[in-house]
Amino acid sequence: MMKIGDGRYAVAADAVEQIVDPAVEGDLRLDEAGAVYHGERLDLVDLHAAAAERRGGSPVYLLLQGARRRALVAVDGAEAIREVPAEEIAPLPAFIFMRPERAFRGVFPDGPGLRLLLDQDALL
Amino acid sequence: MSGSGDGRLIGFHLGDAGAALPLGIVRQVTERPRVVRVPGTHAFVSGVALHDGVALPVYHLGRLAALWSDPDRAGAVRMDADRLIVCDWGETGIGLLGGRVDLVEGEDGTPDAGEEDERSGLSGAFVKRFLRVRGETIALLDTERLFASLGLPAAGPGGRRETGEDDPAGG
Repeated sequence: MMKIGDGRYAVAADAVEQIVDPAVEGDLRLDEAGAVYHGERLDLVDLHAAAAERRGGSPVYLLLQGARRRALVAVDGAEAIREVPAEEIAPLPAFIFMRPERAFRGVFPDGPGLRLLLDQDALL
Repeated sequence: MSGSGDGRLIGFHLGDAGAALPLGIVRQVTERPRVVRVPGTHAFVSGVALHDGVALPVYHLGRLAALWSDPDRAGAVRMDADRLIVCDWGETGIGLLGGRVDLVEGEDGTPDAGEEDERSGLSGAFVKRFLRVRGETIALLDTERLFASLGLPAAGPGGRRETGEDDPAGG
């Protein structure tokens, strides 16, 4: 479970290789081309624009493995790991999206609201 | 009840504009549910609700510019929609936000030519016909055109598909 701006989202835990906190991680360098983490050049994906959310002050980065590449994804907080039964996740219909490549693939109930599930394979 | 070969109709309001749909495509009318906004969707997609465990796209027709005779009006349509009209279109379910939802009964006739678009504010291209009900002009929407404009898959026998088909989420 993660926060992006004021929104609450989720990503499949098995796609997250690592949570990188720049406040405690010394071997992370950000530049205009992306990021270098432990000597590896990685793309840096900012979901704030995709989610139309405002940026928070101190992001953390999820090292995600997608279908085609690994990348660091900036989020505003990694909240918790939660087991969500597959049958609770309703797939989002493709026709609602403006473009074939979309950032989210499903939705599930979360307390009084709903939470969107990131589509890391479409994104990366 | 409405006659004229359209079967029974359900009426609703988009801001001040009166509209109607064939009752046959309406599965249910519910209170406005919890809707989560989905980034990257069309402007007229208000978000998604969970309905019987399925992600139901919820549409705000006030934001569909082409639906309005004055496209600039689309963004200004004040939607006091308190209901969700759940429709079946082929194998796809969708929700339309609307206010003052009720069966269309007591049709008075057809409005005078030329005053339909002005009175409803809806583009004639999306209207199958106009009717007068209790002194109000109501536009019977052309569902084929409307739903195609919303990006829905065709509902004909060759065009049916499951919601989420071609969907990497596995739907």
